Amino acid sequence: MVTITGVIPRPSTYTGLWSWLTTVDHKRIGALYGFSAFFFFVVGGIEAGIMRLQLVTSDNSLVSADWFNAMFTMHGTTMIFMAIMPFGATFFNFLIPLMIGARDVAFPRLNAFSYWTFLFGALLMHAGFLIGQVPDAGWFSYANLTAAPFSEGKGLDFWALSLQVLGVASLAAGFNFVVTIINMRAPGMSLMRMPVFVWMTLVTSILLVLAFPIITVALIELTADRQFGANFFNTAAGGDPILWQHLFWLFGHPEVYILILPAMGVVSEIIPTFSRKPLFGYPVVIFSGIVIAIMSWAVWSHHMFTVGLGAIANSVFTITTMLIAVPTGVKIFNWIGTMWSGSIDLRTPMLMAIGFVALFIVGGLSGVSHAVSPSDFQQQDTYYIVAHIHYVLFGGAIFGIFAGIYYWYPKITGKMYNELLGKIHFWLMFIGMNLTFFPMHYAGLNGMPRRIYTYAEGFGWEGMNLLATIGYFIIVISLLIFIHNFFRSIKKGEEAGHDPWDAPTLEWSISSPPPVYNFAEVPVVRGQDAYWITKREAAARGETVPAEPHVDPDTIHMPSPSYWPLITSFGVVWIAGGLLIDVGWDYIRFPISFIGGIITIIGVIGWSNEPAAEEHHEAAGHH
Amino acid sequence: MVTLALLGGVLILAALGCDADAHQSILSSTPWTLDGVGGPVAREQLLLFNVLLWTMVIVFVLVEGALLYAAIRFRRKPGDPLPPQTHGHTPLEIAWTIVPTILILGLGVWSVIVLFKLEPGEAIALARVEGKEPVRVEAVGHQWWWEFRYEDPLPGDEATKLVTTANEMRVPVNTPIIMDLKSDDVIHSFWIPKLAGKQDVVPTKTNSMWFLAEETGMYYGQCAEFCGTAHAQMKFRVHVMEDAEYKAWVAGFAEPVQLSAEATRGQLVFLGDGQCVTCHTVGASDVVDPATGEGVQHARMQTYIEYTEWLAKRADERLLDVRTGNEPPTAFAAPNLTDLSCRVTLGAGLVDRNRETLRQWVRDPDSIKPGNRMSELAVIYQTKLDHRADLTEAQLGDLVEYLSAQGSNVCPQ
Repeated sequence: MVTITGVIPRPSTYTGLWSWLTTVDHKRIGALYGFSAFFFFVVGGIEAGIMRLQLVTSDNSLVSADWFNAMFTMHGTTMIFMAIMPFGATFFNFLIPLMIGARDVAFPRLNAFSYWTFLFGALLMHAGFLIGQVPDAGWFSYANLTAAPFSEGKGLDFWALSLQVLGVASLAAGFNFVVTIINMRAPGMSLMRMPVFVWMTLVTSILLVLAFPIITVALIELTADRQFGANFFNTAAGGDPILWQHLFWLFGHPEVYILILPAMGVVSEIIPTFSRKPLFGYPVVIFSGIVIAIMSWAVWSHHMFTVGLGAIANSVFTITTMLIAVPTGVKIFNWIGTMWSGSIDLRTPMLMAIGFVALFIVGGLSGVSHAVSPSDFQQQDTYYIVAHIHYVLFGGAIFGIFAGIYYWYPKITGKMYNELLGKIHFWLMFIGMNLTFFPMHYAGLNGMPRRIYTYAEGFGWEGMNLLATIGYFIIVISLLIFIHNFFRSIKKGEEAGHDPWDAPTLEWSISSPPPVYNFAEVPVVRGQDAYWITKREAAARGETVPAEPHVDPDTIHMPSPSYWPLITSFGVVWIAGGLLIDVGWDYIRFPISFIGGIITIIGVIGWSNEPAAEEHHEAAGHH
Repeated sequence: MVTLALLGGVLILAALGCDADAHQSILSSTPWTLDGVGGPVAREQLLLFNVLLWTMVIVFVLVEGALLYAAIRFRRKPGDPLPPQTHGHTPLEIAWTIVPTILILGLGVWSVIVLFKLEPGEAIALARVEGKEPVRVEAVGHQWWWEFRYEDPLPGDEATKLVTTANEMRVPVNTPIIMDLKSDDVIHSFWIPKLAGKQDVVPTKTNSMWFLAEETGMYYGQCAEFCGTAHAQMKFRVHVMEDAEYKAWVAGFAEPVQLSAEATRGQLVFLGDGQCVTCHTVGASDVVDPATGEGVQHARMQTYIEYTEWLAKRADERLLDVRTGNEPPTAFAAPNLTDLSCRVTLGAGLVDRNRETLRQWVRDPDSIKPGNRMSELAVIYQTKLDHRADLTEAQLGDLVEYLSAQGSNVCPQ
């Protein structure tokens, strides 16, 4: 066994393409997640644009029904699983070790494995486009529309198997961050001294670990139906289509909070910094996040009010769903409380954070109107729902993500973005977002069902759809400005310094961009808002915070790069991809898939026989 | 400022709610009222929504107002000192937990009360009060059209037989209607916005809901659950009629129609070259086979039933997947055409029904409804390269005459 690791020499470069492919540095993996997520955000955005152009007026025929159906399926799937979730992972990766005073995550190679598995899974999902086999049953792919008689071709196989691969990536990342946050905190950082973002990451990671097994089961059943002729969802043979809905939403509702809690964490960091006040009701904000996570397991059937579960089941889920609005509201009140009598600096991150709160209020209120089940019988499956989900996920998650990107941009790149362009981006995106999604409330209440590729004139839907399409292009312009600002500032931006915002958390105490080893000396935490305490005590003594001591990097043991996570991920995605092979003899897919299993096993064996970090005598040889 | 702009937007949109085009709107036709809905079920839902909407508007203004006030009032000015470092306020936290909880539980209790009013039992109770029986209609969702079956169209009248129609259901005014929803294939959702909220149509189970229409007229409905390619075009209509008209319509199903010479030739196309009868039924003018004394359609249906039973048996034995089995299906369910003259639209609510559109539909259904099952399954669309009907113009004309005659005794042109 040892020979396997011996045959392939360990990668030793820290620059160039190979260094990125074999990196286990959480900051580099964070950057990889970030660029991948933004790439898929653009892909999902283009899919949205095709839909908006098709619906711009009645009886339009820009795309066929089947293409439109593929577009909304891939838009939802891409944005949720390949954009917002990996954006969350971007922040987890880059920030969690920095915020808790650690040098890396608990399992650096598992972290690399998560990223590569995510990337390969996302690419596999989109590989269907190359051969014209695109999933087209909606992002929650209700059974039995996904059963073989109603879904021809391999589109749904791509969907089910790729999502399964993405689930592997999410589970690995979830475990990694739970262990990291529990075990790797700097001395003195008790749980109730952790920054709220760390708390929300912990809660999100626990949700990931608990929720993804459910979708895994559902996807295994769907795959068994489609690949092996099982009958979980085949109604003609007595399968139950409602089983899929229960499994999907029992996963799907916690998933909603997996998407939004990281953004809430980001906003909870930004608002205190730019108000120069500690977070109002810190324990309440954390506790409400935990309550939301627990209650998210008891509300899934509000997606199913019209399925016919009966008045008693609907009553229960009406009440539980309404109650989940309370902890959400409490968070909003505490953010406003933080701003109240603060000293507010309306820089771009703060504008984005306030935008998040302002738009999330709208999404939260329309959410309450869905909780009222008799009223939801009218709103269900209309554009009113589409409006709601976008106020939560675009107005909420995406604004939170951009707030975070601007806030930590100087930390990640060492440069300052252009403030004016940042503000223009915010205002255009804010206006565009409202113009796109606010009219959808009205279109839905006016009876426009979601997921229709065309509509007849005479229903009064044209005006709202035209506004939405105009709004879409305003969002596009705002994002082009963001992209320009992002790359131009890396090259030409001013040096940001290590702490441009006078921020309270530990990542701002080290240089920008942070060195590979993060902290030269592991910090000691003496309270909430640890870096504020350090700075203000120093100021009270009339001193400045001493610069970091110079440490010889060779004396710090960091995990070494490795090929094995990449190889193992490749094996995992091969297992799934092999089942999609369709050449000549149908059963060829099983041996091909089996090869992926062998690659995975080789990867795992190589990985487990390789020490996390090379012995130090190699480095000592350079002296 | 933003709050005001958004609020202004809400009010403008509310004003737009007076739009006369809004056939499927669930909003009041004038703000603050419950006008514009067709019956008690939709009214309960609208009342709940209106109260909710204005509650939301008040909460929206208060919270967004506080957010905006804070953002503007407490802006940093050069030289500002560090603000007071408060960490929280326990009574405030308790207050803003308890007040929303009370507000929300109030709405919750009301919701639960309304939920039980929407149960079908309520319809039966309501009908009894008026000394009537509710009319039960079975709606069957198909990809991508609706079948409506009335086992007992005139409750209490023993003589009436099964009535089956498609895409346009007819119901008596001021009578509770109980819908029993079934699906032939995938999940659909039955929704008549002006009369009642939606209920999913799920294979393997029967869902029930009820509604009552207080005025005669035509109401719009549409499938609300994504169900495949032509989901956008799975619409239907509900015609609410006076009792006498409704009775005449039901009676029309049993009366034979007079066929002109052209229509009689068209009947031969329907039964012969067109092979329409493989899937479609026209109850009032069936041809009796002298040998068996049974209607041609009856014989065809018998074959179909035997075939589906055979399939179900094979499926039970887990021998093959039903729709992908080796045996090609011999018949599929298709709209019953008995009262075609009474329908105002074709293709599940897509185009006005007249001789021209009917001709276009038969010749090339894809030109009206892409993805429809008729052009996919019927043999006459498979034999020509352009996938149009393999019929002569004369045959088409005769067939259109025959089809137009169906139901003409009840609904003269």
